[in-house]
Amino acid sequence: MSNAEDSFIRLDDVTFSYREKIILNKVSLKLKKGDSYAVIGKSGVGKSTLLHLIAGFLKPNAGSIYIDQQEIKSVRKNTAFLFQELGLFPWQKVVQAVGMPLHLNKAGKASEIQNRVLSLLKELDLEHLKNKYPRELSGGEQQRVALARILITNPDLILMDEPTSSLDAMTKEQIQQLILKYQQKLKATMLFITHDIEEAVYLGKHILLLKPGGTFQVIENSFYSVPRAREQLGYYEQCIEIRKLLMDGETI
Amino acid sequence: MKLLKRFSKSQLLGFLSFLILWEAVHLLLRTHTVPSPWETIVYSISRIDKLALHSLASLLRILTGIGISMVIGIPIGIYLGVSQKFGYLFSPFLYFIYPIPKIAFLPVFMLLFGLGDTSKVILIIWIIIFQIIISVRDGIAQIPKIQYKVMDSFQASAFQKYRFLIIPAILPHIFTGLRISIGISLASLFFAENYATVYGIGYYIISAWTKMNYVEMFSGIMTIGILGVILYQILDEIELKVAPWNK
Repeated sequence: MSNAEDSFIRLDDVTFSYREKIILNKVSLKLKKGDSYAVIGKSGVGKSTLLHLIAGFLKPNAGSIYIDQQEIKSVRKNTAFLFQELGLFPWQKVVQAVGMPLHLNKAGKASEIQNRVLSLLKELDLEHLKNKYPRELSGGEQQRVALARILITNPDLILMDEPTSSLDAMTKEQIQQLILKYQQKLKATMLFITHDIEEAVYLGKHILLLKPGGTFQVIENSFYSVPRAREQLGYYEQCIEIRKLLMDGETI
Repeated sequence: MKLLKRFSKSQLLGFLSFLILWEAVHLLLRTHTVPSPWETIVYSISRIDKLALHSLASLLRILTGIGISMVIGIPIGIYLGVSQKFGYLFSPFLYFIYPIPKIAFLPVFMLLFGLGDTSKVILIIWIIIFQIIISVRDGIAQIPKIQYKVMDSFQASAFQKYRFLIIPAILPHIFTGLRISIGISLASLFFAENYATVYGIGYYIISAWTKMNYVEMFSGIMTIGILGVILYQILDEIELKVAPWNK
């Protein structure tokens, strides 16, 4: 059992291998409550595995993971996961998709759930799309619906696998602002995988640089301030700095 | 263009093209075995009450067969889709039995269930149940893994996975299976109703054939076509209500 401490997520010597290939090797990590962490690193270093382990989808071969002092043995109630593929169901209208987690958790009467859903849809400017099916929505709208589906449960931990990778530049910025707004509103701890250094610098208070074999480096984001804008001094300098660390002396 | 699209979608075009082809064959062959469509239509209208009675008898058999096949076939298809073990055990049997002409089992059903309606309905079930099982099983196989993961991330129970994911996902496949099943069961009436009955459109056609009354025979054939059109239209309407996202 874990000792009481200020870290919200704690990984103790976590090892995970798949088909005899060690993906994460004795990883120990402490993540603070309410902070946002951008997970970056080259393909195949175990970014998705790390997120899936914290979500409880995977079990470590050795070591333990604690969230809020509780050891993770399966999927935790207040953890929300935004998948890269979104996983919207073709048969669910927007209003049904966003309400589904509340119905699954039996979070109240149907009318109460409906009111909560409509209020969130209004906040996210999705109200006019409430009776649309996913195929009738644009990529950005689908992303917002998937985001609403995880936000409706007021999670204290948000895990996201490349949340904006498939979006155009402008929609990407809109979604990033939305993520930032709700992470701060819910005071949720957030871990997100990204291949976009600018996104990592914009959304992450800390940047978790994962390296082959499961070693990592935590970089404090000097740009991080609330509120923030890309035009602020230091944003692009920070991006260049992170890029250098990511390349780790390699030439492109 | 829009009107043309709607027209091409309508069943009327299908019926008209059938009539044109029929008329062409009639004019080319010039034999009493292929009467003219007009003569057949006039004959059918004059015997509408008789045709309605025979159609109703056939419809009852088909609907009973389809209903029972769904009640048995859907759960088997679902179990086959979700249980790997059951899949391994049952799939080889399914692949073996699926291509065998089911009509070949007719003597066995007659022996086991008598000559009445039971053996006829069981023959229809035997013909279409495998189609329904396979449609449902394939429907489950096509559910993307990510959708199960989404359900897991919300800690959905097994029942909730069926309610929110599996059942809606297989609905369009059930309708596809039903569409194929309706076609096959209408075709199978010809065999199922050729013994121990005096009601049914299959019987009507065979009886006309043996009397060498080809106008009557073709009016029966045309009626089967119309029955099919009506059943498909009803199915389309139900699908639009039950699975509107698929349209």
